[in-house]
This record gives sequence, C-alpha cells and structure tokens, in this order.
Amino acid sequence: MNNSKSNNHADFYGFLAQSFRYPEQAWLGEPYFDLLDSIVQNLDLDNDTLGLRQTYCANQEGLEILQIEYTRLFINATPSVIAPPYSSVYLDQEGNLYGPSAVWVRRFYQQNGFELAGDADIPDHLALELEFIALLIDEHQEEVAEQFLNEHFRRWFPLFRARVLSGSTNKFYSTLLTLVDFFTREEP
Amino acid sequence: MAFQMTRRSFLQASASAALTTALSGWLVSGAQAKSGFVRKPFTAPGSFGDTTTVSGSFCEMCFWRCQLVGKLRDGKLVKLEGNPKSVDNGVSICARGNAGVKLLYDQDRLKYPLKNVGKRGAPVWKRISWDEALDECASRLQGVIKNNGAQGIAMFPHGCSATYPMHYFEHVVGTPNVSEASFFQCRGPRDMAYLNTLGVQADESVDMPNAKAILLVGTHIGENIHVSHVKQYLKGLENGAKLIVIDPRFSSSASKADIWVQIKPGTDTAFLLAIMNYLVKKGAYDKAYVQKNGEGFDKFTKAIAHADLDWAAKICDVPAAQIKEVADLLAKNAPHVSIHPGRHVTWYGNDFQRERALACLTGLLGAIGVKGGFVKGKGPKLANVSWPNIAGEHAEEFALHKKAEKHVFSPPGTPTQMLRDAAISNKPYPINACIAWGQNPIQTIPGQQDTIKMLQKMDFVMVVDVMPTDITMYADILLPELSYLERYDYFVKSGVQWNLNDKHQQYIAPRTPLVSSLSADHQRKDSVWITNELAKRMGHAEHIPAATTEELLDKVLAGGNISLAQIKKENGIHLQPGSDPYGVSYPVKFFNDELADAGYPGVPNYTPVPEPPKGFARLVYGRVPVHTFNRSQNNVWLNAEMPENPIWLNHETAHKLGLKSGDRVNLVNQDGVISATTSILKVTQGIRKDTIFTAHGYGTKNPAMTNAANKGIDDQALITKPAVDPETGAHGMRTSFVRIMKDGKVLNIPV
Ligand code: SF4
Repeated sequence: MNNSKSNNHADFYGFLAQSFRYPEQAWLGEPYFDLLDSIVQNLDLDNDTLGLRQTYCANQEGLEILQIEYTRLFINATPSVIAPPYSSVYLDQEGNLYGPSAVWVRRFYQQNGFELAGDADIPDHLALELEFIALLIDEHQEEVAEQFLNEHFRRWFPLFRARVLSGSTNKFYSTLLTLVDFFTREEP
Repeated sequence: MAFQMTRRSFLQASASAALTTALSGWLVSGAQAKSGFVRKPFTAPGSFGDTTTVSGSFCEMCFWRCQLVGKLRDGKLVKLEGNPKSVDNGVSICARGNAGVKLLYDQDRLKYPLKNVGKRGAPVWKRISWDEALDECASRLQGVIKNNGAQGIAMFPHGCSATYPMHYFEHVVGTPNVSEASFFQCRGPRDMAYLNTLGVQADESVDMPNAKAILLVGTHIGENIHVSHVKQYLKGLENGAKLIVIDPRFSSSASKADIWVQIKPGTDTAFLLAIMNYLVKKGAYDKAYVQKNGEGFDKFTKAIAHADLDWAAKICDVPAAQIKEVADLLAKNAPHVSIHPGRHVTWYGNDFQRERALACLTGLLGAIGVKGGFVKGKGPKLANVSWPNIAGEHAEEFALHKKAEKHVFSPPGTPTQMLRDAAISNKPYPINACIAWGQNPIQTIPGQQDTIKMLQKMDFVMVVDVMPTDITMYADILLPELSYLERYDYFVKSGVQWNLNDKHQQYIAPRTPLVSSLSADHQRKDSVWITNELAKRMGHAEHIPAATTEELLDKVLAGGNISLAQIKKENGIHLQPGSDPYGVSYPVKFFNDELADAGYPGVPNYTPVPEPPKGFARLVYGRVPVHTFNRSQNNVWLNAEMPENPIWLNHETAHKLGLKSGDRVNLVNQDGVISATTSILKVTQGIRKDTIFTAHGYGTKNPAMTNAANKGIDDQALITKPAVDPETGAHGMRTSFVRIMKDGKVLNIPV
C-alpha cells in the first residue's frame, strides 16, 4: 500500500467527520457535494444525492432547514433531542454525557498519542471519533483503528443510527449514516 | 441496506479518476473544520489515575451555597466534596450537592444560543451565533422600550447569576417590573415581617446548637436539607434541646419532636397569638427585655386579649392543654429558645401576620442576642459593586404597587400577581417583553394558565438558563448559561462558623470554576458576559461596571481587603477572626405604627382562611431531601433516588375509599383541574384527614427534560386560586383543595 493511497483512505473518514459538524455554508459547497456524489455513485447506492445538492448547496433556505434538523437531532429540542451524538448516551447506563465509555475513549486517544484540543471537551462526539480514525489511518495505524472500531465504535453507532432514523426522515443524514456504516462496519 | 461492494474493494477502486478528482477538489476547498486533536506523547498515569483536587466554588444545587472542592480526573469532574477548610458545611455536602456532577454532564443541558422558529409553547429551535442572538435580543427589547417605555419589560430572575442582569434592567434600563420567586413565592413575607418588627433580616438566624428549646412552625428540617442548618439543628437536639413541631403532617422533624402539634392548616397565627396571650396574662415573659426594647406593648396585649387557649384550640383543632404545654415549655426555657422564622412562608396569603407573630414571640421571650435565641453572626465586609443607578427614579415612578397604593410592605421588586395582571390587561400600562433568567415561572408562580397567557401576549420573550425547563419552551431567544461548576460568579458566599459558640471566625468564599468553561462542545457563557454584551448593544456600554466576572469579583473582594488570586492560594476560602455575636438587642415593635397608618393591623392578627369545600382536602406541599424543586428533577442520580412525589393520604380516609399505598392516582382541584400525570399514593397515619401533602416541583412538562418529564404530579398546576398577602403582595399557595382520582373515577374525601 503506498503512501498516497493510504492518505486517501484517511480523507474519507475526515469527510464523514466533517459531515457531522454543525451545517454551515462554508463547508456545504460544491466541492463537498461533488465528493458526496462521487462516493455514493461508486458505492452504487440509490440515494438521491442530486436532490441533496439542490436542497442544501448554496441555498440559504435549505441550509436553514438542515441547521434546524441538526439542532433538533443532536443539540436541543422540544420534545426531546432525538439522538445526542455521544457514545456515553448509548453505552453507559445513566444516559449522561461523559460516562465511563467516554473516559475509555479519551484514554484510548491518549494512549495513541492524541489529546483533545480543548480542555473540557467531551471525547466521544461522533465527529471526534471519526476524525480520530482518520488520524490513525493517516499514520498507517490501521490495526489500531480496527481495534477502536471493534472495541468501541461498533457498539454504539448502530444504536445511534437507529435513533436518528426512527426520529427523522431527513435524506442528508440518512445518506451520511449509511456511509458511516459502510466505512466502519465489520468486514470478513 | 446491502452494499454492492466491500469497503476493501471500494478503497482499492478509490483511485478511480472521478473519485480522486472529487476528493482532491474537496481537500483544496479548505472547508474542513479545525482539528479537534493535538499530538501529545502518552505518559501513564499514577495509581490515583491522575486525580487532582480543585478547591473553590460553592454549591448551587440549592441556595444554601456549601463550599466545595472538586475531584478531577483527566479534565473530567468525578466527585464533589465539602471543602475541608469550610467552617460552614465542613467536609459535608448533601445528596443533591453530590449529584452536581450529573448536572454538569446532563445530556439535556442547553448548549448554544437558540432561536425559536416555531411557536411559543411549541418551539422549533435553530442554533444561532451569539452575535445574532444578542443583536436580536437588544433590538427587540429596544423596540419595546421605544413603544412602551422601560417599564414595558418584565423580568423573572433567580439565583446568583441573575443578580447582575437584574441590577442592569432595574437600574440602567429602568424597569420596576422585576419579580423574584425567592421573595414573592417564598420568603418575602418573612423578610418584611422581621424587618418591620425587629428591624433586621430574619434569615434563619436562630442559634439552635445552643438552644434549650426549638420551635418549628411548618419547617421540616431533615426533609428540607441545608447542610450547616441541619448541623445546627442536630447539635441542638444532641445538646438536649426540647423540640416543638407545629405541622399537620408527621414530618421528619415531627418524628424527633417532644411535642408534635398536629395543627389544622392555615391556623398557625391563632396558635401563636394564644401562646403570647397566655404568657402575657401569666406574666411568664421577659419583662425586662420587653420594658427596655418593646414598642406598643400595651396596645399589643389589648389586641390579643381575646386569644385565649380555648379560642385557639377550637380554631386550630388541637387540645387547649397542648397549646398551654407548648407555652409553658417555651417560658421555662426562655430566653434560650429558637423561634424558627421558617424560610418558604408563602402559604395562605396571611403570612406576613404569622411571621410578625413569630418575631413578637421571639421578643416576648427575650430570645434575642442570647445563647440559643435569635442571633445574627457578624460576617465579613465586602464591597457593593454593580451597575450605577441611573434610571431608578423612572422605575420607581412606574412601580405597579406604588401606583395602586397597595402592598406597602412589598419586598424589593414588583408583586408577581400585579405584574402578571398588568401584563395581561395592559393596565395601567402595557408590558410587552419578558425575560426569565434562571427562574422557571411556569412552576414557580401559581396560576399557570395566566402565566402562559402573559407569555403568549408578549412581543418578545428571552430566556437564559442552564437546563431546558418549562419556561424555555416559551422563549423566542434562548441563551445557554454556564453552570455553577464552570464559572466565576459575581455573588460571594461569606459568613461565620456554623456554631456561634465555637471560635469566632469569618469566611469569604468566591465561586471559581472547577472545570474549564471552554469547550468545542458548547458555547455557554456567564451572565456578566451576556449582560455586558447586551448592554453594549443597547447603548449602555459606558455604564458597564467591569469587563469580566473575574474583574467584578475582584472589586467585590477588594472591599474585604482580599483578592481572588490570594483566595485561590488559600484553597478557595479566606478565613479571618470574627467577633462575638451575642449581647446584641433589637427593638421589638409589638405594635407597628407604620403598619397601622397604612391601614394594616398594627398588632399581629389572625385572618381565617377559606375551608375546604365538602369532599375536598387542602393540598399542602413541601420538600424532600434529594430534590430542590424543579431544578434537580432531571438529574439522573436524584431522579433515580426519588422519581415521583408520593401523595400523602390519611389512613382512615384511604380505608374508606378503598385505596392503598402504591395506588396510582391523579389529583383534581376545586376548579376541576386534573393533574396531567399520576403519582403514587402513600397511605399514612401521619397526616390529618383534611390535608393532602406532596413534594413540590415534580411533573415538569417539557419533554426536553428526558429524565424528569411527566414524572410525578405538578402541584403548581393545581394551585389555580392563589391568595395574595395584603401587606407584601406575595402569593399564598396552600390555597388549593383537591380530591383523588383513581382509574378515571373521582373520589370524595370524607370528613
Ligand atoms: S445543602 Fe446540599 S444542595 Fe444545598 S448547597 Fe449544600 S450541598 Fe448544595
């Protein structure tokens, strides 16, 4: 496996990490949708990415819809927030943030030479975990990435995904959840 | 979904021209977020897992403000403990204090400024930037000021963090329409009654550790937990103090009492008048103290001369002999008796008079400035730093109760009932903006439907809070505040050692963050920052008293000749020598001219309260040790301890109705309001037949409180006919009558 190819792989995870950050005009431009289209086409998914581009790319109204949906799904909502994107909420009995699984995640980051950039950050946000995988792959630490996926990520992501899908019909997030699943699922 | 290809084959094919182009196109677009990680070599932690102790801060799970230390592991707060340097709570904190950790990491906490793009009451939230949020708040508030004047803004503040913005809105913006639940739905009548009887604040200034007898009227210490206060109470009992508890319910205090008076609710003042009349007639009072410090004693004795033991016995539904027994016990142990002023006293709308009676009884027994009596510790001096009062006169001119010449003895602010009535009716002037800051008026103010009506008619509603409480559903703009564990505060906790008989010490304990306020995970801010930013946008930049909370705090501390940096070095608490608090005397206005001149009874009097209609019992409410009302309901640990509020029902009544402990029931009030939720029944001998009790603060309706929503019964929703205390304008909230509903069937309470 050559260097450039490996970096390539890392970038897909970086792309997914970005996708679960708060939707902003700045990153939801044509290049983002070009890549999304391209990945979806290569995977032969029947998801309608053209529709997504039309709705959300450089479209103030569409962007606002996506922002409201992100807030409702992942931040604060009435009735309740649909699916907080943190592993603790799914893995730790108390359903709080920063439970034992988040502590485990932070220690795993540290053991592999990474520390969170802000001192009070919650370690187990979906976007952070995906970015961590990207960093590992970028450093050719595929086995460690696999260990992280196996011991942690795959235990909560399906629960999270199910909660989003049962609480939302938004195509953008359902497509991205499909992609995250594809890039993180266990393969024989 | 079945994928056509494996990840491996995809990645192998990912060199495909189209994909490579798309990927590099995305990469060069530079639209990726800043990395959330930095590189750092790993060093294995020691056997304590790198646990560090951070000293400072004080608890805000309730208002008692116990001093804390935090145990941190790797940036995560893992435990809270009492600060070993504390001379107040010491190393102890209560269950709620411990559970503060779970507030910090509550998944439902507010994180970003939100704009309601739906409706009030049925919000749809959009995350917005602080600039956008503050710009909108400022322009909408200014719009209301332009059309209606500053008095067109109503504010409902609560807690340490709300003081600074409250001063801003009162003194700089110039609205009188600020209504604090801590006064008008809690201790206002007590504070005003003591000020107008003994000339000083009541607080809970009774020297219980050194008392020979303690009188509690409705106060249920033990269920109502404030650490140093409980320590004082228990020390007193340990030292042999006799305990008298007046309560319709067998409270935890009643269970420790030497005399438990199972009084009929609403009649406490009659009980107190009879005791005083008996003591006066018998000459069993502190004649020397009364002679020297009493005012209007003759008028007083005349006015209460009718209150004999039999009169009170009939009203209070207790034996005359028991009233006498209480009076004799107090007289025997005077002056070393603690007549507890209570704290939450807004019960029946005649509460000012009851509190006056308690203060008079204290004076009559000479229980002032002596061991075991009413004694105020002498705390340290601090500077008074806040917004300049540039618009106070304007505010004064528009104060509703002053315009109407009502509630002359109102605590600071505007009586809530008047404020809400004015806002709904636009009379005498329109009030079109509402700010809730750390208070949940939906559950603090009785008459929920009116509160909602008021919110719906506003031009603008702004809410600042930590958790998504009920009121947040009505916000147009919702701002997230840092919790007490992440911020500095303007308010400084100070006082003296918990037992006045110990070595005299004063302490100063500012709030300092135990964990960092910065995180990529949220954008919460403290109230000083929020208020200053708002003030800049509203044209008041020149009046800002300090740029940051730290700077403001340092100015406050400078008044005590100490700095924040120094206190941090001293592990969060500064101690200095104190002085002897005993030997002080206060005048006692047995008859108060100002009250009489204003048309109120100059001598404490008893006004009967409405009786329960046939088939109903009176609903009374109180505290439980693991909750502080609404604010702790969503906390996972506390919720697990006590998710619901049991409904106390007399055992004979229950037997007649065929009910048993554990039954799920609704409550239905005299106006036909049915509790939205059910709770469990507690059948007990420990409550009168004419009374039903439950804990206050349950049954929040906001589903965003995922642990607490719809658990237990919201007693406030059943208080549809609050009374209003004539002197103070505070609410009376034990004014509802209820029946029980089981399986959809409403059951009459037998007499
Ligand atoms: S009594 Fe309990 S909840 Fe109140 S301040 Fe103290 S520790 Fe906190």
